[in-house]
Amino acid sequence: MNAAEATFYYLAAASVGSALLAVTRSNPVHSMLWVLALFLHVAGIFLLLGAEFLAAVQVIVYAGAILIFYLFVVMLLDLPDEEAGPRYGPHWPFAAAAGLSFAALAWLARTQWIGALDGARAVSAAVPGDTPELGSAAAIGFALFGPFALPFEIAGLVLLAAIIGSVVLARRPEVGP
Amino acid sequence: MIVPMGTIMGLSALLFGIGAFGFLARRNIILMVVSIEVMLNAVNLSLAGFSHQLNDSRGQVLALLVIAVAAAEAAVGLGLVLAMNRNRPGAHIADLTSLKW
Repeated sequence: MNAAEATFYYLAAASVGSALLAVTRSNPVHSMLWVLALFLHVAGIFLLLGAEFLAAVQVIVYAGAILIFYLFVVMLLDLPDEEAGPRYGPHWPFAAAAGLSFAALAWLARTQWIGALDGARAVSAAVPGDTPELGSAAAIGFALFGPFALPFEIAGLVLLAAIIGSVVLARRPEVGP
Repeated sequence: MIVPMGTIMGLSALLFGIGAFGFLARRNIILMVVSIEVMLNAVNLSLAGFSHQLNDSRGQVLALLVIAVAAAEAAVGLGLVLAMNRNRPGAHIADLTSLKW
């Protein structure tokens, strides 16, 4: 096992561990911090997979913006009785069975994809061209403003709708007539 | 490829299963929404793995769009939590039994 493989297995084990801790801690702030650890480890796996731009976006947008937003809301709501009560609903064994069976199904199904993917790799690696390196900001930019221009604009529209929607939802209702 | 594609798919499946369990089992609405983020991250992981395996940048572009949708979902979901918290303090999913306050 070389250094890259050892790094991958460390990152994978730490991701699974922090995800498990994130969904089982009773203190919401501790859960958020474990989710932060999960996001940073997944960003490390992105780096190992050659997706540098995606790793940067994961750290800046996910860990830097979205998670801080969650922490703000957790601290704004001030849930003092959160740790006292049960953290799971009474139906949690069914939830555990559903999660376990999905993970087991996907784990069993993955062995069928490996052979097909190796064939597909041989085909697509034979395409020549002077395209920028895969995973760099240049490659992502050419894809986003080229064949993915319409989905990119629709994503911007989704974000605009979400901004307006959350302002409308979280605004205090006006008193008066 | 440093590890076989199947290893990345297995890791993604495990993370998605953990997120699904968290979404179904937790009582706190905020932690349910965070479990959705864990599931979206698992999907991003497999998309990046496919992109690396197939030597194609489309997987990473799809992962970027997933991140944008996750940001929108977080904004709307937490706005809903704040609006519900104003009418009835607390963030437990089992308390939301009435259709109109």
